[in-house]
Amino acid sequence: MTQFFRAAIFLLPLISAFLSDTQAATSDLIRRSLVRIQTVSQEADYSTPWNPGSVEESIGTGFVVADDRILTNAHVVSNARVIWITREGDANRYRARIQHIAHDCDLAVLVPSNPDFFKGMLPLDFNGIPALESNVMVYGYPIGGDRASVTRGIVSRVEFQEYSHSGADSHLVIQIDAAINPGNSGGPVVQDGKVIGVAFQGYSGDVAQNTGYMIPTTVIKRFLTDIADGRYDHYVDLAITTFPLYNSAARRALGLPDDGQGVMVSDIYGGGSADGILKPRDVILTIDGHAVASDGTVELDDSNVQMAEVVERKFKGDKVDLGLIRDGRPLKLTIPLTEPFPFNIFANAYDVKPRYVLFGGLVFQPLSEDFVNATTLKNSRTRYYYDHFLENDLYKERPEIVILSNILSDPVNAYADEFYQSIVDTINGAKIKTLDDVADALAKPSEYYVIEFLGASRPLVLEAKAVAAARDRIRSRYGVAKESNLKP
Amino acid sequence: MIALLRSHLFAILAVLAPCLLVAAETRAAVANSPAPLPSADSIVRVNSTNQSFNFGRPWTKKPPFNRRGIGVVIDGGRVLVTAEMIANHTYVELELPVSSGKVAADVESVDYESNLAILKPQDPKFLDGTKPVQLGKDVQVGTRVSVLQLENTGAVALTPAVVTTVSVGNYPADGIALLTYRLSAPLQYRDNSFTMPVFLGDRLAGLLMRYETRSQSADIVPDVVIANFLARIAKPPYRGISRAGITFSPTRDPQFRRYLGMKKGQAGVYVVSVAHAAAAEKAGLKKADVVMSVGGHEIDEDGNYENSDYGKIPFSHLISTANLPGGELPMTVLRNGHTIDLKLPLEPRDLSKVISEPMVLDRAPRYYILGGLVFQELSRSFLREWGSDWKNDAPARLTYLDEFQDELPPDRGKIVFLSQVLPADTTVGYDDVAEIIVEKINGRTIRCLEDVAEAAKHPIDGFQKVELESDPGVLYLDAKEVSETADQLRDSYGLPALDNLGDPETKAVP
Repeated sequence: MTQFFRAAIFLLPLISAFLSDTQAATSDLIRRSLVRIQTVSQEADYSTPWNPGSVEESIGTGFVVADDRILTNAHVVSNARVIWITREGDANRYRARIQHIAHDCDLAVLVPSNPDFFKGMLPLDFNGIPALESNVMVYGYPIGGDRASVTRGIVSRVEFQEYSHSGADSHLVIQIDAAINPGNSGGPVVQDGKVIGVAFQGYSGDVAQNTGYMIPTTVIKRFLTDIADGRYDHYVDLAITTFPLYNSAARRALGLPDDGQGVMVSDIYGGGSADGILKPRDVILTIDGHAVASDGTVELDDSNVQMAEVVERKFKGDKVDLGLIRDGRPLKLTIPLTEPFPFNIFANAYDVKPRYVLFGGLVFQPLSEDFVNATTLKNSRTRYYYDHFLENDLYKERPEIVILSNILSDPVNAYADEFYQSIVDTINGAKIKTLDDVADALAKPSEYYVIEFLGASRPLVLEAKAVAAARDRIRSRYGVAKESNLKP
Repeated sequence: MIALLRSHLFAILAVLAPCLLVAAETRAAVANSPAPLPSADSIVRVNSTNQSFNFGRPWTKKPPFNRRGIGVVIDGGRVLVTAEMIANHTYVELELPVSSGKVAADVESVDYESNLAILKPQDPKFLDGTKPVQLGKDVQVGTRVSVLQLENTGAVALTPAVVTTVSVGNYPADGIALLTYRLSAPLQYRDNSFTMPVFLGDRLAGLLMRYETRSQSADIVPDVVIANFLARIAKPPYRGISRAGITFSPTRDPQFRRYLGMKKGQAGVYVVSVAHAAAAEKAGLKKADVVMSVGGHEIDEDGNYENSDYGKIPFSHLISTANLPGGELPMTVLRNGHTIDLKLPLEPRDLSKVISEPMVLDRAPRYYILGGLVFQELSRSFLREWGSDWKNDAPARLTYLDEFQDELPPDRGKIVFLSQVLPADTTVGYDDVAEIIVEKINGRTIRCLEDVAEAAKHPIDGFQKVELESDPGVLYLDAKEVSETADQLRDSYGLPALDNLGDPETKAVP
């Protein structure tokens, strides 16, 4: 399991690499650009969503880049309430604030509140993808001491992989065997005096040894380009799944020669970029002119990468050109990358407050990765709706799966237990597609509030009078500061 | 945790002096005259070798295991045991308490719902000299009974027990709740403990089916369930336990009662769902009806009625146990404020209409292999292969369809799914596809494995085209290659056959 460096406790490695004179000089320069980041963060509490959440402190690394900015990982400064930054050889602590944060690629740009912070610091430059087996140095403030640390390793492999911070996005990563430990996150990985990546995730020692990952400069440069207009637009992908075409019968049935090229479109997410343009069983032969092999890879910069990498490097508003075989005939299509796929409930959320509505002691919340991690889904219908939300197109009927997530026991809801974790279908006849629908339906005056849950169950009936009488009692008894949060 | 009584259940091997006197203190006992005691003449040792099927690899059986228990001799030269004891049996043998050799036995009848089975020795003379027992009666909360075990010598060991609760509780079969007696009994470990008879005097009060060591409490299949079972098998054709086929919700919630317009003090339960083709549907019962009385008994807000022997117990007892299948029970229901009378036919669940079978026992799972694609029909037995936490661990889509099958269209047919792919030349690139529902094969809608077999005879343009409910959506096989490599596939995976389209329904024995 992939873990974040700021969370896990690792064994403490010793630095044993011998540095030559020139390396030492470079090292000194790099260290002078290093920033130690101390974050006080507050994690949202999805099980009691009106609570402000627990406060914790963590250490990470950042480094100075052009235009007086500090680059680090998003997870180093997520949910931050206060960010302190310090630098080598300066006893002062400075405040910093987030200028841009991209949770889908785990990168963030900070600016110090006092520009004097940068005195004597040099911005670091970037280079491209390093060669396999080449040496790299990792700088940062890992566990084991307070001062800057450096470790050395080689490039082990370059691959597409999930970024654990969001848990739902995959981009290119570079694996290195240098010791990377909690606190290294956000630190530069350097080769020949230039940054070739940002250390960000790895395995704990009991799973795999010497397996650390960095974000390559292709992803970093894309992030810096995206925010150049003052706004982060997120990645926009095709929102499709594809199936490799190794099977010769499948190839012939789809009208393809036995040349090892092409993948079959197997699912197209409604509301995604390719919705209404691609069809199931289309065969993708080329993407932006790059030939797509039957395992779904393309050759890019002299290496084989997933064809998604072509789309990865693009921005919102760009287009993707596809060469297809549809119903046995060649076809060329262009897909505009308009908006990020809107129904991704599987990504961890940061810097947002949990959405909920409290009514008569009943807590309504939409299903999300964070909510599911904070609770145990015992209701098998609800679990299915969550697990198969995308696969079975359940989001088309319900962009949000709103459930009765908790019951603050009170006479008004004494018989509501049987509905715990059930999915809200209608309230007073109004279809519930989002949490906002719940808030709207419950705001309309009515003698009875009749809540129908999905599946064969009686309606839950609350009398408006009883709810009104219980309101203050429930609020004070359970310490509910606020009865709803609808802001995304 | 409630554990099944297996032979290693008890940690301590101890032999207590049987407390015979306590067992004699029954309600039936007449003062100053010793009450009759159960004797070793009415019981036999039962050893059953069972072997369950592997639904993950439907062409194989799992390793065999033994269950040893005590059967009760009843009239007609028959032996009564729990059904669980002989589920998926391959060989059953009987042995007298003081052994005079073993004799093979056949399972004459089995009813997994009421967890009871009848064995018959192959040698009819085997039971000569034994004494059939009579069923007990008048067991109530507080009745003193005794649990019978056997010492290795063949001597009877009796443990006194008290009936602490009479209620309708879960039986081993999924979704079945029938009358149980809960006993408080300090049982010691002895051999042959999987099934143990419980006596009231010298009459049979029930068969023990669960024992919890920590609280020393046991659940038994009671005499009334046994009587119902014996009556049902007495006259062929065999009929299963009657069921209404509804789910209901209590009407205690005062806000809900006012919303329904129920009067103060008015009893009854709210009908939440009526299963397709179930007895309740035939009776005309509808969702949102309030069931007020069944068989002349008033139903309270929680779904209980007043039983003259046991006090308040769930009204399902009236349908399943208190009456035999075949007749009708009058019902009164409240619908839109009006009281209407309905007649509930007493009949078992029609398993041929069941989409996903709750329990497949005593017969091999059905499957059909095309190329290397393995097709199966969804059953809860398949999902149970994921272990005790199968509800969380089994594929969510299949678990969902099984649990909520009553919401599917009644003519849905079976749910056929691609359970796994055996890597072969025909299935290159399909190795990771598993547990996906099959919609069509060669353009034909699939509603059972016979449909798969028929569709496979009609490839289109030389391809077997399998359309799936979700990703990847479609798989193609070369039809010629599939038929040419069939023998090779069977040999290389050691498959006894490429299909098993045996009997699709659970049939009771006989």
